[in-house]
Amino acid sequence: MGQNAIRTQGLSKRYGSLDALTDLDLEIDEGEIVGYLGPNGSGKTTTIRLLLGLIQPTAGRGEIFGLDCQRRPVEVHQRLAYVAGEANLWPALTGLETLHLLGRVQGRVDGAYRDELIERFELDPSKKVRAYSKGNRQKVILIAALMTRSDLLVLDEPTSGLDPLMEQAFRRCVHEAKGNGQTIFLSSHIMSEVEALCDRVGILRDGRLVEMGTLAEMRHLSALTVEATFDGSIPDLTRVSGVSSVQVDGRVIRCQVRGSIEPLLKVLAASGVSELLSHEPSLEELFLALYGGDGTPESAATGAT
Amino acid sequence: MRPEPALDPTARVGRAPGSVIAVLTAHKAIRSGVLWGFIFGTFVASSAFSYVSIYRTQAQRDRLETAFGSNNATSALFGPAPQLQTVAGFTVFKVSMTLIILGAVWGLLTSTRLLRGEEECGRWELLLSGRTTRRHATAQALIGLAAGVTTLWAVTSLITVVSGLPAKIEIAAGPALFFALALVASAAMFVAVGAVTSQLAATRRQAGSYAAVVLGVSYAVRMVADSGIGLRWLRWASPLGWVEELQPLTGPRPLALLPIAAFTAALAIVAVHLAGARDLGASTIPNRSSARPHLGLLSGATGLTIRLIRPIAMGWAVAIGVSALLFGLVAKSAGVTISGSSVQQVLSRLGVTGTGVDAYLGTAFLILAVLVAFVAAGQVTAARTEESVGRLDHLLVRPVSRSSWFGGRMMVAATVLVASGVIAGVFTWLGEVSQHAGVSFTTMVAAGLNIVPPAVCILGIGALTLGAWPRATSVVVYGVLGWSLLVEIVGGIGALSHWVFDTSVFHQMATAPARPPQWTTGGVLVAIGVVSGVIGTLAFKLRDLSGE
Ligand SMILES: Nc1ncnc2c1ncn2[C@@H]1O[C@H](COP(=O)(O)OP(=O)(O)OP(=O)(O)O)[C@@H](O)[C@H]1O
Ligand SMILES: [Mg+2]
Repeated sequence: MGQNAIRTQGLSKRYGSLDALTDLDLEIDEGEIVGYLGPNGSGKTTTIRLLLGLIQPTAGRGEIFGLDCQRRPVEVHQRLAYVAGEANLWPALTGLETLHLLGRVQGRVDGAYRDELIERFELDPSKKVRAYSKGNRQKVILIAALMTRSDLLVLDEPTSGLDPLMEQAFRRCVHEAKGNGQTIFLSSHIMSEVEALCDRVGILRDGRLVEMGTLAEMRHLSALTVEATFDGSIPDLTRVSGVSSVQVDGRVIRCQVRGSIEPLLKVLAASGVSELLSHEPSLEELFLALYGGDGTPESAATGAT
Repeated sequence: MRPEPALDPTARVGRAPGSVIAVLTAHKAIRSGVLWGFIFGTFVASSAFSYVSIYRTQAQRDRLETAFGSNNATSALFGPAPQLQTVAGFTVFKVSMTLIILGAVWGLLTSTRLLRGEEECGRWELLLSGRTTRRHATAQALIGLAAGVTTLWAVTSLITVVSGLPAKIEIAAGPALFFALALVASAAMFVAVGAVTSQLAATRRQAGSYAAVVLGVSYAVRMVADSGIGLRWLRWASPLGWVEELQPLTGPRPLALLPIAAFTAALAIVAVHLAGARDLGASTIPNRSSARPHLGLLSGATGLTIRLIRPIAMGWAVAIGVSALLFGLVAKSAGVTISGSSVQQVLSRLGVTGTGVDAYLGTAFLILAVLVAFVAAGQVTAARTEESVGRLDHLLVRPVSRSSWFGGRMMVAATVLVASGVIAGVFTWLGEVSQHAGVSFTTMVAAGLNIVPPAVCILGIGALTLGAWPRATSVVVYGVLGWSLLVEIVGGIGALSHWVFDTSVFHQMATAPARPPQWTTGGVLVAIGVVSGVIGTLAFKLRDLSGE
């Protein structure tokens, strides 16, 4: 029985009167890849900084591999690597010097893998950080984290600023890490990335964890999108059970179906459908649905001041 | 931590893109100009008022005149002192050199901040779209800075004119305006110097350092000119010398405005020209974008600290070494003129006793102590910057404990302070021994070490603030330093009770070599520093890391 890689109990953080994170209970097993989603200001970074011991919880506690995040930060840090979304590094050091320093401080580096990563991410390590673009600085901290092959990777928007090619290189690295049994906690706004990589997904909203599960489980909870084109008259679908968000666009009807699709199919069969399309929601649609559909949040809960 | 929303500055101020930079720069420069104008004006007013309250009788005033009127020591450090028997003459002597230097520092900091600083953090990229050229933008920024200098002059003038009104002071408005002009002339010149170095260097810090070197050389040249060794003409080789030549209130020479105006205008034109000839974000002096790796120090947090502060520490070492050497070189000629009871009376208010060379060197070491205290303050704010911009995160998410980073950083800083003290002692000795002034090596090194405790105390107070109240770090550190400095400056006139005097960290220091160093008081200062530092470390362990 492996212990949890990450475990939190009632973890909370208040800033003045603002609840940045409320009562977070999280359990992540070793070897899992977990995505962590939520709108801006919902508390993702706060969670991660609490786990790293950079800030103190107002209540609750967090453990990493059974070690208390606040009380034994140095031991915790020996087993994890962290990538921030903003790579503020020392401008006067070169990329290589930075990697050397961060490796020495970590105490554990796979040198061959580091060189391979430098090649893969096409980084010129002789340049000074001052002269790097944002994406290149991001590559430095990504390589610095990956080269340690730590048991746990905590990634907070790790690919911000990377081009699509590098984003692919990153996904490859995550797959390799999973192959090695490393655990990955990934906060991201790139849904396709989370969809492609993660075993489980947690969704935060206003500092509360509102969903947690595998993608399949979440899809089940959510609606199926159905698009039907009619030859003749358009039936009234609003009364069909399970159907919502009906939109009529000329001869085309778009709607969402929850639960059984039978009642809808019956109505459609009775009224000359010429084309029928349906698809499962993507993570993006799930996310948007959770926040009020069409990308307009139900409540203005978008955090920052 | 939270990114600022990308405002469109043109939308915000509602102007054509051509003048946005002028408006934004002026806005910031004027704000700063108002604040410093108040400080300048208050200093002028307080000097004038304390003179009339302390030196009431003509006899007292005449004694002051005979003591300092032809004193090479004070002349070398603060400039000549004509007409000390009048309020005007005394006020000019009392405030001029301090405010000239303060003005120059304000000028170079403000212009490098608003030119190179703004460009460095990418704000100009937003503004420089489409029609605005870099040359045009720099010219606009200079107009904004000129508005700042004008404000500084206006506020200083206002307070000076008003404080000149009372009958016992009686300084007419015209001369008062000219006096204020003389006080801000160095600010104008060093705004221009900063504008040029902002083109030459790629970072604000570098640009500031280049400009500071120009200031240091200017001060040194005029110091030699004023030290009574027959090189008076050298004044004309120093921008600060030109300002002295203005001789406001005592013997006005508006003609000296010519080189000042010419120097400022020429540098402004050069700056605008250089700006047009380079890329945005780039510098005239090529800033190498790659380098061979030097991994020696990069094996841990403390090694990194040493690597990061090395350039700054070297800069300070040179500045302190050169100042000390100059102080030493003129020690003999300056010390000769310190004699008579009333000199001692005034100097003794500053804690400087003794006669001749010793008394002069006591004052010189007081100035060096201030420099070393600035080194300490700079170290604390540099540590805070590591945290606030998020670079510290990269270390603290790795197996580096907070206390080892913090403690290491403070230890390195303390070592730099001790080294600065030793450099001050050794180089003063080199200067004075070459002129056969006859103070022993051990006395000089002891005097050098004697100036370390106040700086250690400031370092400790800074560490405590950084640990417990991080956002206030720079305000508190420079507040304590500025307050102590102000108390020393104002206290020299004799207007302060010893209670106030005791709040200055510098006043706690015996003014070696004029007096023997008091290692117990020094020990107390160090102990305060160490205890504050330890409490700061503990507080730092327990708190949230915080951004800006
Ligand atoms: N130091 C701080 N002081 C005050 N409030 C803070 C602080 N740090 C974060 N907050 C607030 O806490 C809330 C959560 O912020 P957090 O950075 O965790 O959001 P996030 O989910 O990471 O958002 P994003 O997707 O934009 O990165 C926000 O409302 C934010 O404004
Ligand atoms: Mg975040």
